[in-house]
Amino acid sequence: MAEWLSDNRAIFALLTIIGLLIAFVWSIRVGVLQTRLRARDEVFGDPERTKGGWYWAVCGVAALMLVWFYFSWGAARAVFPNAANELCQIAKIGESLAPISAALPVRSRYLKSTTLAVRNSAQLEALSTSMPEGVFSADEARRLETSVDRTRQLIALLSNPEFTSQATKRSLADVEGQLADLTGKLEAGPGDMMPSPEALTQSRWGTSEVEIPMLPMTSRGVMFDHVSAELVDVSKDFLSIRNLSPRVEDMIASTAELINSVKKGEPQVDLDENGAKARKAYVKAVERIFKRIDDATIFPAQAMEGINNAVAKLNATVDDAKGGLGIVEATFFPGQGIVKSKTQCTEQGSGRWLPKPSDVVVTFVTLANPDMSGGGGYKGTRLLWWKWLSIADVVGFLFPDSIVDMLPGDYGTHGVDGEFQPTYKDHMLAFAQGDVYLGSVPMLDGHIWDSLFRVLVAMAFGIMLGVPLGIYMGVSRLFKSFFDPLIELYRPVPPLAWAPLILTIFGIQDDGKIFLLFMVAFAIMVISARTGASGTQLSKIRASHSLGATDRQILRYVILPNALPEILTGVRISIGVCWGTLVAAEMLAGTTGIGFIENVARTVSDYELIWVTILIMGLLGLLFDLVMRWVIGKLIPWRGKG
Amino acid sequence: MKKFTTRYIAAAASLAMAGMAGTAHAADSVNVAFFLEWATPNQIAKVDKAYDDAMGVDVNWTDFSTGVQMTEAMLAGDIDIAYSQGLAPFVTAIQQGAPLKMVSIAVVYEANDCFVASSLGINSSNASELEGKTVAVPLNTMADFSFRKQMAALDVDIDTMTIVDQAPPDGAVSLADGSVDMACIFGGASAKAAGEVGSPIMSTQEKTDAGIGSFDVVSVTESFANENPDLVRSFLEVTHEANAAWTASDEQIAKVAADAGMDVATTRNQMAGFVFPTAEDQTSNFFGKDGTAAAAAESLGLVFKKPGAWNVDEKIAKVMTGEFIE
Repeated sequence: MAEWLSDNRAIFALLTIIGLLIAFVWSIRVGVLQTRLRARDEVFGDPERTKGGWYWAVCGVAALMLVWFYFSWGAARAVFPNAANELCQIAKIGESLAPISAALPVRSRYLKSTTLAVRNSAQLEALSTSMPEGVFSADEARRLETSVDRTRQLIALLSNPEFTSQATKRSLADVEGQLADLTGKLEAGPGDMMPSPEALTQSRWGTSEVEIPMLPMTSRGVMFDHVSAELVDVSKDFLSIRNLSPRVEDMIASTAELINSVKKGEPQVDLDENGAKARKAYVKAVERIFKRIDDATIFPAQAMEGINNAVAKLNATVDDAKGGLGIVEATFFPGQGIVKSKTQCTEQGSGRWLPKPSDVVVTFVTLANPDMSGGGGYKGTRLLWWKWLSIADVVGFLFPDSIVDMLPGDYGTHGVDGEFQPTYKDHMLAFAQGDVYLGSVPMLDGHIWDSLFRVLVAMAFGIMLGVPLGIYMGVSRLFKSFFDPLIELYRPVPPLAWAPLILTIFGIQDDGKIFLLFMVAFAIMVISARTGASGTQLSKIRASHSLGATDRQILRYVILPNALPEILTGVRISIGVCWGTLVAAEMLAGTTGIGFIENVARTVSDYELIWVTILIMGLLGLLFDLVMRWVIGKLIPWRGKG
Repeated sequence: MKKFTTRYIAAAASLAMAGMAGTAHAADSVNVAFFLEWATPNQIAKVDKAYDDAMGVDVNWTDFSTGVQMTEAMLAGDIDIAYSQGLAPFVTAIQQGAPLKMVSIAVVYEANDCFVASSLGINSSNASELEGKTVAVPLNTMADFSFRKQMAALDVDIDTMTIVDQAPPDGAVSLADGSVDMACIFGGASAKAAGEVGSPIMSTQEKTDAGIGSFDVVSVTESFANENPDLVRSFLEVTHEANAAWTASDEQIAKVAADAGMDVATTRNQMAGFVFPTAEDQTSNFFGKDGTAAAAAESLGLVFKKPGAWNVDEKIAKVMTGEFIE
């Protein structure tokens, strides 16, 4: 079932996209109608105006999802499931043609020959003016100057069509002819070419580790594939062409000899160490440029014209043969499109780092699968599940072992038969360490629970300690003045700055991570409770006082309700900040948790996993906030009505 | 209001353009990624502009802090050549389908150490006592790879261990605090700190005997290699010349140290553990038939293989080539 769903994810994505489009258009229609209906009797700035309006929420979510589908190429895969395979075949042509294209002004502005000739001439120019003084004899200097000069002439010879040999011209024409033949093949169309049975059984785009199926699955794809295979040989032929003619060969041989005579010959002047170095470096530089030219890969501009036209024609024909696919590529594949590398076709552009919604769902389902032997979970822990928690473990956690150490008597030893003889202290120790059976209770388990647990415990401590302290700071001079400097001193420090200390104080267990989150929550809770308490209207306190309320009653019935809106806003803010700090906290010593998954996924650039963790954190945060909104609605219904 | 809207549209449009802009550019300049605090002889060539002279183009050097970031920058089209990228990030990049190529070996060095807390009294002879213990490992790095290979060589079952994902400096601290029993570390400063309170589970000799070593690679984007094979060749040629000219003289070390951003003593120490294989060595031993490069990359690929991944090893062998080494 899961397999079938996974294989057909493109179709489900298509249905989802259609649904989203309908929802988008429909929600706008409802929204506009509703707005028109209410436009007359509403006042700008009235809080009632922001109530309701769920259709705009539908509109927003639909728009976000559609943008996601589009930029992740999810829409492309849903509507044109075979496009990637065909584009991959076309990318193969691009790859096979790359050696020829690189010599032409296709992806660059100039011919490669032009670039080589100009760049090396400039370097020769620089070289001829920078000959070091005193390390060459006059004769040697003359010979080197001649070498530089001849290399320059060599560039001129290679660039001049008059000196291009017939053989070279024939080879170039031959490549041109082969390119024209292949263009003809493309023009003739696929005919009765059929994809191989092997190709048709490939897994579909994005459903397996191989992102895009490599073998052509359509007859047009087969045609492109054939052409690209033949192009490999054409490119090889092209690369083996050398612009050699008798004159050029003579020039190369004589220049090489000249350079060698200086290089190999004994220096004719006395040299110190630095001099020898300078001499060697200069000869090397001359030789290096000469070596670059003596491959004879510079061709006259005119000679390349034919091939340039042939390649342009071939590319144009590929574009024609693409037909509608070209428009699909331009509109549905934002980015660089599909690129063929050595072993596979990959998505380059936003499709690479933004996984498709359907793939994210599949990754999430795999991760959430509680059957770990079946590939579920992550690094040996489930995403969210339950387990039996032994009560003895909790007791063992609460009961420090050192108490047993303080009891009188000794621990057991092994007896003469080699068997352990426990004393009463050993039994006590087993209890303190949780090695006894006291029954079990069901408990949540997994990465999400671990993260949630850390946040919830930190929040609970933050609220329990922060709110009373904050309220007392709001009403008592002693509390305010005593705690104000302490709180204000640590509050502005970003939680990450504490991280290195936490690690060495608390170690790698949960307590350190919880403490880090607690510090974040505590400061926010104190500030918000204090602001709430000190913001109570004086008239209310005076009124209750003159009606005979005790201090306790004033605190409970006047100040606390007045501080409640601020406190609850503080809770909302601190939960958000806690989630933000969680990733950092779990980076300290990661074993489980959502932040841990993200940290590990980051090291291997596993974008699907990264997005899954981002979404989980976002959704959990949203869930918290919805709960808080409900709580706020229940606890302080008078908010904003004063 | 109108101005505001126009500005938004302009911003959105420029974002969209940035997303779509191709990487087509003539190779007027070449962008190379490297690591600071990772001393190599070719930094002399870098400082002396020998690369610029030999390649005939401007060579821009950008420093990175991790190999994964190098991959990211190469995929974004900002970097053409990554010098001394770790084998682990390279292999994981290939497994994720990145169009990269390994064209040379940059540095061969001793495998990262795993330090056992001294108080435990565990060494390679009684390594099985490590079972059930807690280990700090920076996951998916060369130290992780080294940890798995060493445990396999010592016949320790890592499924029984609690593995904690910690960056090397944190791992060293946890080892000192006793909250972990062993810490696998890379980087000079962290290894020194861990060495204070622990000792390596395997000695240099033992690691060599077990065939556990690691190396950094020179990787290039496939498109750059296709379009500018001559530049790749010149780059490697200059690198090998610089390696050959390396005599570890004070003058050279000072120059490298200045460029690497370290003091002379640290540089000297670090480079003492480095081997820079010559061009001949690379073509015959590393990239030849059944070369060590492929073997190491394959075993690393298998260690980091995702469950259900396809023939990882075959894929990796295809993206390694010695053709650019002369």
